[in-house]
Amino acid sequence: MNDDLRSLTDLDRIIHEPARLLLMTILSSVVSADFLFLQRQTGLTKGNLSAHLSRLEEAGYVKIEKTFKGKLPLTVCKLTSSGQKALAKYRQQVQSFIEKTK
Amino acid sequence: MEQNFTEIQQRVRHYWFKDGVGEIAVGGLFLALSLYFAGHYFAGTRFLPSISNAPLYIDMGLGVVLLLGIVLTRKFIAIFKTHITYPRTGYVEYYIESKNSLAARISIFIAGTLFVLLLIAIGRWVGSFKWIPAFLGIFFGLLLLFLRTKTSGLKRFIYHASTSILLGLVLTINSMPIPGLSVYYAIFGLWLMTWGGWILAKYLRENPLPNGEDDE
Repeated sequence: MNDDLRSLTDLDRIIHEPARLLLMTILSSVVSADFLFLQRQTGLTKGNLSAHLSRLEEAGYVKIEKTFKGKLPLTVCKLTSSGQKALAKYRQQVQSFIEKTK
Repeated sequence: MEQNFTEIQQRVRHYWFKDGVGEIAVGGLFLALSLYFAGHYFAGTRFLPSISNAPLYIDMGLGVVLLLGIVLTRKFIAIFKTHITYPRTGYVEYYIESKNSLAARISIFIAGTLFVLLLIAIGRWVGSFKWIPAFLGIFFGLLLLFLRTKTSGLKRFIYHASTSILLGLVLTINSMPIPGLSVYYAIFGLWLMTWGGWILAKYLRENPLPNGEDDE
């Protein structure tokens, strides 16, 4: 295996999963988003979305809070600073792999 | 890869415009401005010439209309989104570059008012206000094109921008200075409200309220 291919094995597996990568990308462009918004944007089922968000929360990449907007109860998700760093690193690794293997 | 990231992020930014409420609210603000300029034209030239400094008071009234209009527009959008949009398609809080501080809001308001007063001063100095509808039409047109490129990428902003520019130019060519401003704001306000209403109707049809289940 050459170095270019080997760099792929260093990818963060938590982010590398497509649904979680989509969630991280969505959350990276907003301050916070609620469960319903993420579900509609990703097309995931409630159970699936909940499982992926829990995984990201366990890794410290996402913070989940229960809050209210007026009288509307919301489950709000935010990308943490370590989540932002991890996503930036992941993007850079993938980009660099693509550049090297062109 | 990077293109996919950008597309997803742009789709998220589109969301704010998905319900058309922004256009309805700004259209309402423009209608208020139209009434102000109509009042400015009729009261300033026909009914109040005997009151000393009447034109100055009327000019200052623009600040009040703008301030009240902006506050009410923001309030309307916030209430509408909380009660209609968020329960249907979810809540998002966006990054705001100015950090939304009170100082930033006051600065924007002062800059806006000074800009308008500068236009009035230039008009009086040149001795003509004929160019103002064209100037405003092009100004809002460019603002809408900037908004389309930087924030939304939505096609309908091109139609809004074209309408604004065309309307401003037509009113200037027809030599309608102050009433021209009133007509510009009235027609463009109605244009925005009609588009917003159509987008809102489509949004409500496509996004009924979800069943009353818990959100997770």
